[in-house]
Amino acid sequence: MKFISKKEILIDKELSELDLFTLDFIKILKKYTNYVIVSGYVSILLGRSRVSEDVDIIIPKLDFKKFELLADDLKKNNFYCLNNEKNRDIYDYLVKNTAVRFAKKNTVIPNIEIKFEKNKFDKISLNNTIKVKIENYEIVISQLELQIAFKEKVLKSQKDMEDARHIRNVANEHLNFELIDSYKVMLNEFY
Amino acid sequence: MSFIEKNNKERLDFVDKWSKYVLEHDDKTWSKQQNVIINSGLKSAKMTKEEYLNMKEKTQS
Repeated sequence: MKFISKKEILIDKELSELDLFTLDFIKILKKYTNYVIVSGYVSILLGRSRVSEDVDIIIPKLDFKKFELLADDLKKNNFYCLNNEKNRDIYDYLVKNTAVRFAKKNTVIPNIEIKFEKNKFDKISLNNTIKVKIENYEIVISQLELQIAFKEKVLKSQKDMEDARHIRNVANEHLNFELIDSYKVMLNEFY
Repeated sequence: MSFIEKNNKERLDFVDKWSKYVLEHDDKTWSKQQNVIINSGLKSAKMTKEEYLNMKEKTQS
């Protein structure tokens, strides 16, 4: 694992089924919008030894026309939405700040949980991304400092504390600790 | 130290050991082992759509 810069990490790893599933989804997603992966999969991508059944993705709010193109492309590529079949209903969930899940047809796990950007932390995540390059693939993840702060300050479950610890350990020399603390103050005011 | 505190400490100790291993070994080596956990975990997870969404609703509320 090489931290090339604040914006780029190279990983020469063997791809897991979760990686392959995620890459399959974002290959379609990125045709229609920018995106950022947040939460558990970020630490897993950086080597954490646990499984997750879902991958959390934030995207900017899309208009319905664009969302429909994305949803149709996903369906064409063997994905379906667990929450609803109709594009309009799925879109309404997203607009009402409810996340929706997509999996491969006839399966439930793994799945992608996708939501529209809804607050300033989602905006920070979308605007401060890191490209993780694996072989010829590229996966866009959130800034690690925000992930650590969110897990330690807001989520705080044992699993989240362990995820944050793992990220701190593997990225230690590349982290801005003052930024983590300032995000924690911001999160304190927000949540 | 309570049982839960002891358990949490042991888990964090393992996180530290594993992340050290990740840093000290090439990516193919650690990822091969990580993938055993991920791939077998995904394979063994069998749920209907309804069961899964109910479970997520309860854990997120």
